[in-house]
Amino acid sequence: MIRQPIKKRTAILLGVASICLLVMVYGWLSWRQHRANPKDTTIPNLSQFVEGWKRITTTDAAGDVWILEDAAATYGRLALGLLTGVGLAVLFGMAMGCFAKAEAFCLPPLGFLAKIPPTAMLAVYFVMVGTEMKMYVAMIALGIFPTLAQAIYQAARNDVSDHALYKAYTLGASHLEVICCVVFRQILPRILESVRLQIGPAMVFLIAAEWAVADVGFGYRLRIQSRLLNMNVVYSYLIILGTTGLLMDWLLSFTRRKLCPWFGE
Amino acid sequence: MKALSVQHVSHAFGDHRVLHDVNLDVAAGQVVALVGPSGCGKSTLLRAILGTHPPNQGTILADGQPVRGPTRNVGIVYQHYSLYDFLTAQKNVAFGPMLDETSILYRTFCLLKWRAKRRRHLEEAVCLLEKVGLGEAIDQYPSQMSGGMRQRVAIAQALIMKPKVLLLDEPFGALDEATREELQRMLLDLYQENVQAKREGRQPPHTIVLVTHELNEAIYVADRVIGLSQFHSGGEQGATIVYDKAAPVFDTSQPKDLAALVQQREELRRIVFDPDRLQDRDEYVTFWKDEAGKMSEEGNHQ
Repeated sequence: MIRQPIKKRTAILLGVASICLLVMVYGWLSWRQHRANPKDTTIPNLSQFVEGWKRITTTDAAGDVWILEDAAATYGRLALGLLTGVGLAVLFGMAMGCFAKAEAFCLPPLGFLAKIPPTAMLAVYFVMVGTEMKMYVAMIALGIFPTLAQAIYQAARNDVSDHALYKAYTLGASHLEVICCVVFRQILPRILESVRLQIGPAMVFLIAAEWAVADVGFGYRLRIQSRLLNMNVVYSYLIILGTTGLLMDWLLSFTRRKLCPWFGE
Repeated sequence: MKALSVQHVSHAFGDHRVLHDVNLDVAAGQVVALVGPSGCGKSTLLRAILGTHPPNQGTILADGQPVRGPTRNVGIVYQHYSLYDFLTAQKNVAFGPMLDETSILYRTFCLLKWRAKRRRHLEEAVCLLEKVGLGEAIDQYPSQMSGGMRQRVAIAQALIMKPKVLLLDEPFGALDEATREELQRMLLDLYQENVQAKREGRQPPHTIVLVTHELNEAIYVADRVIGLSQFHSGGEQGATIVYDKAAPVFDTSQPKDLAALVQQREELRRIVFDPDRLQDRDEYVTFWKDEAGKMSEEGNHQ
């Protein structure tokens, strides 16, 4: 039957099985490729992965450890870009959800900006703010801002009833308290969920920008290593990126559960 | 002392006239039920009293102050509770005192004083929740409570503010019969507190305006029933008050006086709800005359 619940144990077993299947399919493809060409690097085998891992974690000729310098650059850009984008989106989304004038003023340009692919804006950022940190922050922040601001605006408009607002005034709240203590608290889980959904796009925008113009960072390293067909390094970086995304997703989910236990699953 | 005064209030939505020259005085300590046919403007009048939707014409005074927006002077309990999902029952009730007595700056920079106040607010909230029979549910979120429990929390949330006037907008409309009766008895207990206060020469603590479509509930719970209706001789101008009479006062320990209840219910049906029976709008608006008569009679006896 549709939506028939299953036991937790069954769910875990199925999850583990799917990952095992993925590893097995990869292993079979790698084995088949290496049987045809033992020097193949497009689908690296385990020993090539170990070699690639060593390369990214040990000091190179220039005295740098790739993983450390790339992680510091990429995570720094990602954190600053996300913080800026989320901050802007909360500010504008809340303003639009609470004040009709802000809604009328901001919604049309936001709707337009949301339809422009952020990666296509790279040239604009490149010209306007150069290739330093500011460009990556602008890429991520302005990339996620329109969608996130619209989601927060919708939540502020629809998830808080007029009655809840009127009642807050009868309880002695000021306008600021209604915004901070009622609207914001009511939609906080929605904000966290929306931010979760924006982690993926934020990473896409960052990697695309790094791929195009950076001289350090995951995107830069992926570009260089993929040109050299060092897929053992590329796949390792992809695993690190995927794990990073999962970790951030879990952290936000954990934060939501801790801050908003009333919201349920 | 008038807790609420509605003076010559009229309201229209475009060409559609809803309220016409509504006048109403509610004395402190009265429990007034407002009934009327669907679409007669009960909710419009209630929103005007609350201050969220000001009328086109007329003045509304709560505790002598003009109503210009929702304030702590007028409390509200809605049919669908409107509790704050992110707060437990106890914190929902303590939410009002927090907003009323402190500001965001105070709560941020005067942490020690704020903690002491917070403790007091939470203790008051527990007392009120115990009073409405929810002493065991203080840590539950609204989503974990039944409709009846949520409505009790909503009533406690409004009562803790000690508003000059408490508006109840069809508060039991979404509840089952048994829960509805329990909550009606709770309202009667509040009425008894008023009676007790009057006996002791104190200001009665609860002035309540209850909007309901249930006539039995109106007569049972209130000590005064007001009928708002468009079915009167000048009805094309909008609805106005066509019925204003005292209701029999019930005691929760006594069985209901069904005869008195039925008699007034039939009268209300005839005067307020019957579109074919148009009468002078003031004919059955006799509450204050009756009260004056009663008082002078009491004076003569003394």
